[in-house]
Amino acid sequence: MSGGIGAHGLAGQGARQEGRSPLATWSERHIKWLLVAPAIVLILAITVYPLGYSVWVAFVNFDFLIPGHAFVGLGNFAAVLGDPVALHSVVVTAIFTVADVGLEFALGLALALALEKTFRGRGVLMAIFVVPLFIAPVIVGQFWSLLLQRPFGPMDYILSVILRHPVTISWLTEFPWDFIGIILADVWQWTSFILVILLAGLAGIPAELHEAAAIDGAGGWQNFRFITLPQLVPMILLAVTFRLLGAVNLFDTIFMMTGGGPGTSTYTAAYYLYQTGFQQFHLSQATAGSWLFLILVSVAIFLLVRRLLKVEEA
Amino acid sequence: MDEMIPNEEHERALTRELDAWLAGDHSRRHVLAALLGIGAGAAMLPATAGAANRAGFLGRQQGQLLEQAAVELASPDTPLGKAQADAVTASTKTPTDGSAYRAVAAAKGKYNNVSLALTYEAGLQALEPRNFSGPLWQQLTGMNFSVVELAHPDLYSKAITEHIAGSGAYDVLDIEPAWIPSLANGGVIAPVDEYVKKYMNEADLNDYHPLFKYLPLYKGKRWGFFDDGDQLELYYRTDVFGDPKLKSAYEAKYKQPYRVPTTWDEYSQVAQFITDQLAPNVYGAVHFRKFGSPGNQYAFCQQFRVNGGVFFDAKTMQAQLATPAGITTLTQMIAANKASVPGNDDLDAVAAWVAWLTGKSAMLFSWPPTGRMSENYSQRSKAINFVPASKIVGKVGYAVMPGKYGEMASGFVKAISADSRNPEAAYLFAQWQSSPPVSLVRVMLPYTLRDPYRISHYTSPIYRSLWPSAKDYLLNLANAANFGITDLIMPGWQDYALTLDRMCTAVWAGKNPKAALEQADSEWNATTRKIGVDAQRAAYQEFLKGVGCYPDHTVDAMGQAVHLT
Repeated sequence: MSGGIGAHGLAGQGARQEGRSPLATWSERHIKWLLVAPAIVLILAITVYPLGYSVWVAFVNFDFLIPGHAFVGLGNFAAVLGDPVALHSVVVTAIFTVADVGLEFALGLALALALEKTFRGRGVLMAIFVVPLFIAPVIVGQFWSLLLQRPFGPMDYILSVILRHPVTISWLTEFPWDFIGIILADVWQWTSFILVILLAGLAGIPAELHEAAAIDGAGGWQNFRFITLPQLVPMILLAVTFRLLGAVNLFDTIFMMTGGGPGTSTYTAAYYLYQTGFQQFHLSQATAGSWLFLILVSVAIFLLVRRLLKVEEA
Repeated sequence: MDEMIPNEEHERALTRELDAWLAGDHSRRHVLAALLGIGAGAAMLPATAGAANRAGFLGRQQGQLLEQAAVELASPDTPLGKAQADAVTASTKTPTDGSAYRAVAAAKGKYNNVSLALTYEAGLQALEPRNFSGPLWQQLTGMNFSVVELAHPDLYSKAITEHIAGSGAYDVLDIEPAWIPSLANGGVIAPVDEYVKKYMNEADLNDYHPLFKYLPLYKGKRWGFFDDGDQLELYYRTDVFGDPKLKSAYEAKYKQPYRVPTTWDEYSQVAQFITDQLAPNVYGAVHFRKFGSPGNQYAFCQQFRVNGGVFFDAKTMQAQLATPAGITTLTQMIAANKASVPGNDDLDAVAAWVAWLTGKSAMLFSWPPTGRMSENYSQRSKAINFVPASKIVGKVGYAVMPGKYGEMASGFVKAISADSRNPEAAYLFAQWQSSPPVSLVRVMLPYTLRDPYRISHYTSPIYRSLWPSAKDYLLNLANAANFGITDLIMPGWQDYALTLDRMCTAVWAGKNPKAALEQADSEWNATTRKIGVDAQRAAYQEFLKGVGCYPDHTVDAMGQAVHLT
């Protein structure tokens, strides 16, 4: 029966096709491509073309102060690798990334564990913790800059009152306080990001696992070590990966708080690239630097993501 | 002919209203309302052929203008009001050969549909064209305007970005004189010599202080009009320096006269003495030394050259910062920092003003708004209430910088964008805005950060009447410009200045001065190599020919000093 219907259907289809113009046939066959073409053109225009253009810029002279666009080979890459400020900025980026994400993870996890169970005022606390996430980083930078500025910012005064002796820390212009100040601002803003993700992860752990562990006589630490933590690993990796992506691009707070100073001591890679490209207009050097930095970051992120996927497969 | 009748009506109405205001017959509010109506009528004339069409269009056009334009005029019986009345007269009635009148006459009716985009430093600087010169120009000529507010470094970077993009987004650019070589070589700005020949009264060009007349010149061409006399000078507390107890204590200790310092060593010595005697009530000095404040590059450049330093070896173009002059300069600056208000290295220019105005410091070298703020003249404007009321009114004296040669630190030149679609209209606005009578108002506005730069500003009886010692302030500004030394006006100044700022802040944070100077040399050499040693050698030679490049090339040293009384 079905074969009969199929034969009839095919015959009908063939008859319909016979009556069509070649254009209509071609359209039907390629309509899917026509429909996606605008999106492809758009993607090519706004991503692939600029990317290709930036490759070209990295290999030519594209500097406002130097006329022409002569091909310079690897000269721009050599200029970045030979610039001590560039190398220093990568080290600073690594320091901030490890310190920021490490502290944010530790605090975020601790807060998530503390807020896992419901209690009176939990909602208010959650709201307070989440507020910094909605503030633009540039505002956070300005806020902390005002808070820490010497001599008019209140931080030194508050510390003086608490410690009962004069505190005269130059938070924005003196090592290591400038680093501490920037880390404080970043941790203040982004800890709640880790908190929110880990809290979701904790909520997803089946209660039966903890109950079974309790029956087996597991204590709090054992419960955490052998049940909570392993169950939470995918979410931890997710949160940490996202934060690493943000932390390696640290720019706004540096821009607002220290301007990369004193000297170049708080230059991050992003700040270095901005300064080189958009303040000094050595665009080809900045573009070459961006590619080098992208490769460096990609390796780290690739390793993390691979680990994340392995966990998910398991 | 149809077009002519409304134009004549417009002129008659404009004259009638202005005459009435100058005579005191009409209130400012009345004049403003009338001017808005007249200006709106002028603006829409070319676009309207028929009377029937006109009525409906007028309503819309007028509404838009009312939103944009509101000239802030002071009462005619105040000094500022008088200056504004003079500016309006000079723009509309007489002298007819003045640059202000010529600019208005050339622009009126010709560019009614044109809107000029003006770049301005965000904040107070931008208030002036928003509140005064922009709307007044609009009323006088029918030309529209928009003010594009940018952070100071972006006045350079955005101009370049838009030029590279070929957007034609800006017409009149506010730029530092030191950026002229880069922007001129890069084709971002256009020379104005042809327009000057056509429209400007030469006497108005000669009204500039010689230093400021020179600054917009590069490779024999004029690249705009100087528009902000950012000459550093020393402000000091007359009560502290006139204190007999301090005087006898100082002279007993140092066997030297207790006076306003004339050398940099004396400066830090006197500052330290005052700090030792009067802190925490008063400290010897305060500086803006924070990264990007912006102060370090200017302070270093002026002091370095006073100490005999030269920026480059003119033959090899090797940087010459790591020399005894460089070490001496940083050593002196460190000594001055130690003698200053606590947290000195963290202060930007505004924070330094706060310390000064609240009476915490006996000395401050800074830009000219300091003088106006010190006498509470500026603070009458709400716009400037981010600095406190002055506690040192009547207690401020003015002097040239220690070492005599002070930095003409930054300043502004009004330049015409090479990508402007209406370069002549842009030029005419710049000529009018910087003309003697109009610029006098602009450097007198309470909230302004524009500073006197014309001979007629320094000698203006109106300006001199603003506060009891205003005459001394103006005379000292003119004299400081006689001994003014300029920023390093050559391509790459942005990079060189950035290096100096990094170097200084690293030293304030504890880096060894010699090592910092050597690193700065290395960065300067890298910049020079990047731009091209030969090109930079030629640019440096050009700089060396310029007025104010070094202490032996100041206006005074070249015999062109202006001596005013």
